Amino acid sequence: MKGLCALRWLAFVVAILVLTPAAFAQTGASSNAAKTQGLATSLSHDLSGVWMQYPDGDVPGVPGMNAVSNRTRPPLTPWGQAKFDAAKPLVGPRAIPGEENNPELRCYPDGPPKLINLPNPFEIVQILGRVLMFFELGHIWREIWTDGRPLPKNPDPSYLGYSVGHWEGDTFVVDTVGFNDKLWDDSYGNPRSDQTHLIERYRRLNHDTLELQITIDDPKAYTKPWVSPPKLHKLEPGWEIAEWFCVLDEDNAYDDAVRKPAGVAPAAK
Amino acid sequence: MNLAVRLAGSLGVLATVLAISSVVFAQDTKPAENRSVPAVNSSTSSVPAPPLSHDLSGVWMQYPDGPAPGVPGMNAIDQRFRPPFTPWGQARFDAARPMQGPTAVAGQENAPTLRCDPDGPPRVLNLPNPFEIIQIPGRVLMFFELGHVWRTIWTDGRALPKDPDPTWLGYSVGKWDGDTFVVDTIGFNDKLWVDVYGSPRSEKMHLTERYRRLNHDTLEMQITMDDPKAYTKVWVNPPKLHKLEPTWEIAEWFCVIEEEHAYSDTIRIPAGTPPTGKK
Repeated sequence: MKGLCALRWLAFVVAILVLTPAAFAQTGASSNAAKTQGLATSLSHDLSGVWMQYPDGDVPGVPGMNAVSNRTRPPLTPWGQAKFDAAKPLVGPRAIPGEENNPELRCYPDGPPKLINLPNPFEIVQILGRVLMFFELGHIWREIWTDGRPLPKNPDPSYLGYSVGHWEGDTFVVDTVGFNDKLWDDSYGNPRSDQTHLIERYRRLNHDTLELQITIDDPKAYTKPWVSPPKLHKLEPGWEIAEWFCVLDEDNAYDDAVRKPAGVAPAAK
Repeated sequence: MNLAVRLAGSLGVLATVLAISSVVFAQDTKPAENRSVPAVNSSTSSVPAPPLSHDLSGVWMQYPDGPAPGVPGMNAIDQRFRPPFTPWGQARFDAARPMQGPTAVAGQENAPTLRCDPDGPPRVLNLPNPFEIIQIPGRVLMFFELGHVWRTIWTDGRALPKDPDPTWLGYSVGKWDGDTFVVDTIGFNDKLWVDVYGSPRSEKMHLTERYRRLNHDTLEMQITMDDPKAYTKVWVNPPKLHKLEPTWEIAEWFCVIEEEHAYSDTIRIPAGTPPTGKK
């Protein structure tokens, strides 16, 4: 993975920047339902491994990033709308090259649910009392407590939140609260408030396939719970999570050399 | 451990260090025989054979027994054992503007950590913050509270890579040598310092860490840096003891640039202003 991931990411960003305006003008066709057909289930409560999302985005030309789906986003509250209006995303119909204010451009640590939604591999490691997730993007790790503890009553707001998990049949259910409101839920500027209760449901459909379904219950930002459709991930047994930190100086240099030139809007737009 | 409490503690420590360090370094820092080492002594071959199970798991915190009075710990990398610099190393050291120590100048610091560059070994091992070790098949994982950095040490028998890409953390493999876990790391970039005083790290560095669990509650760590580009000899540090903290959990503590700037402006730089009349 080393070296490759940076290239992959670069190609990906360029592709998005070039394709998004057109893509958003079309209506996306749903895609991943077909893959769930005919999958046998021998389910051992084992989610270990390096997983990579299938590049089957809602929007043609956008690879993946549909575990948090814009098409099912509920209406924003006034607070949510104000936050959304202030967001200047890198991608999507509201992107304006040079004016972006994504938190990750300042190397803010990415957190759930956006972190889970980005098209980069993550590894799951299960140890006694905890499930650990390692994300290549930003070299972020996260722990999900499975020792039976309850969610904290009054957690300090944090980038990753506080997560507990339990098994419901063959589904691993993760509940997270205690987020700060400094990050977005997705790449399009949809806000995340400190009232967010995030629910992730993981199910291993077969040895090679992990299904992830995300629900965002954030009454401060959205008028209803945001229920996204299930998203499939593929086991990548030969991959190892590489070192990929967000570094402010490197990020600025990359912006100037690649992202902003590639993102210059077409003349007629 | 509660983050707010810990953070407040660390800020207090840092402020104390900043306030005291110029005084401390002005004194003759003679090797401290008065290091109070709880639990065990660092010359430990006399410790009655503990049940050494090749298990380093747990949250560990270094003892606050630094060689300089008022400096809590941070002596797993010991200035008193630093070899002479090469010309390259000297130039790097001269360009460094640390936040503490004799070459600190308040307001002019250029420590990589002030830009929130990710901290890596060996410096991250030396900072006075807890880390957790988790052992899984084929790997030992280390989680540092500072910067929320995690690190993989491969124990599946693989060799060090021949020509690794330079990285912040380097590429690490580990093996057991009797009751000692030996970690070899290469493939560093040269963007970080090895300590808080601006001593450089080059991409030629071969870092060796030796971990030994002296008893259930005590972990000994010994750090050796072989960096021929920066130092004329191998930098061998004395062993440093860490205490098991069974009830602690690693909290979320990211370096975030705006928070770092706000902290610098309100606390760090004012606290580090040299006393009037002091050079």
